[in-house]
Amino acid sequence: MAPALTSSQELDDFDSVVRLYWQRVFRFALASLRDRHSAESLAQDCFFRAYRARASFRGEASVSTWLMQIAVNLVRDHVRDRRLQFWKRARQTAVDVSAAASWIADAGASPEAAASTKERVQAVWDATENLSERQRTVFLLRFVEDMDLLEIAAATGMKEGTVKIHLFRAVQAIRERMGRAK
Amino acid sequence: MIEHLSAEQISQWMVGERTPQLEQHVTGCAACRGELAQLESTLSQFRSAMRDTSSTVGAPAWREPAPSSWFTWPRMALTAAALVILVVAPLSWRAHVEQQNVREQAVQVALSDSQLLESVDSEISQAVPEPMEPLVTLATWNSTAAQKQKLQRQ
Repeated sequence: MAPALTSSQELDDFDSVVRLYWQRVFRFALASLRDRHSAESLAQDCFFRAYRARASFRGEASVSTWLMQIAVNLVRDHVRDRRLQFWKRARQTAVDVSAAASWIADAGASPEAAASTKERVQAVWDATENLSERQRTVFLLRFVEDMDLLEIAAATGMKEGTVKIHLFRAVQAIRERMGRAK
Repeated sequence: MIEHLSAEQISQWMVGERTPQLEQHVTGCAACRGELAQLESTLSQFRSAMRDTSSTVGAPAWREPAPSSWFTWPRMALTAAALVILVVAPLSWRAHVEQQNVREQAVQVALSDSQLLESVDSEISQAVPEPMEPLVTLATWNSTAAQKQKLQRQ
C-alpha cells in the first residue's frame, strides 16, 4: 500500500487537486454568488491563486480547507465589489435549485411529499440570499460542504465561538423563512 | 422538565450545542424529535439539491499557467522609475557640478578683483613711491626730534 500523501505533497500533482476539489469550490461559489458564470470564474481564480501560492502552503490545514479559505476570501471580495456598483447586473445565468429539489424528492416520494420538499428547499435557498455575508458563508460551509466548526473557523479566519453565533443566527433566519413557506 | 424546544433551542441543537437537558428532552419528546428530523431532512435535501445543481459544471482541464510575464504592471513601473533615475540622475549631477564650477570661478574672479582693488588702494594711499619711503620716515623722525628739542628749550 502506497504511503498517504502529506498535504504539501498533494499539491505536487495540481491536476489531481483540481479534479478532486473543483466541485466543492465551484459549489460554494455558486451557492454564494447564485450565478454560474461568476461561480465558474471565481473557482478558476481560486485554483489559479492556489497554484501560485502553493510554495507557501505549510500544511497546517488540509488542502481542502486551504482552498476553501481562498474561495471564502474571493467570494468576500466579489460581494464587496458588487456592492460598490451603482446597479446590479441582471443575472443571465441565475441558479434555480428548486428544479433539482423536485428531482431529488421524486425518488419514491408521493407527489405531495415531493411538492412539500421542493417548497422547503426553495425556502432555504431564498433565505440564504437574505443572510448576511458571514452568516451565509458559515451556513453553506456547515450544511452544504459538511465542514465542522473548527474547519469553518480555519477557512473563514473567525474564532470557533463567532462561527457558532453566525451559524445560530443563520439557522434561526432559515427556520423563520421555512415557517412562512409552510 | 422542558415542555417543547423553543426556536432558540432548536437552532442551538442544529449548531451542535446539545446539553444533557436538551438531549433528555429530545429522547422523550416525539414532537420535538419530529421537528428536528424534518429540519435535518430539509437541510440534507438542500445539500443534495446544491450538489446536483453544481455537478453540471465539471472540472476544467488544468493547464499549468505560463510563467508570469516579466512585464507586469508593478515591474514596468519599477523599471520606468529605475530608467528615470539612471538617465536623469547623471544629467542632473552633471548640471549640478557645472553650476558649482561656475560658482567657484565667479568667486575666484571676485577674489582676484578685490585683491587687485586692495593693491591699487594701498598704492594710491601711499604718499610717496615705495623707494622713497625711508626718506619720508627720516623726515618725519627729524621733525619730531626738532619739535622735542624746541619744547625742552622753552
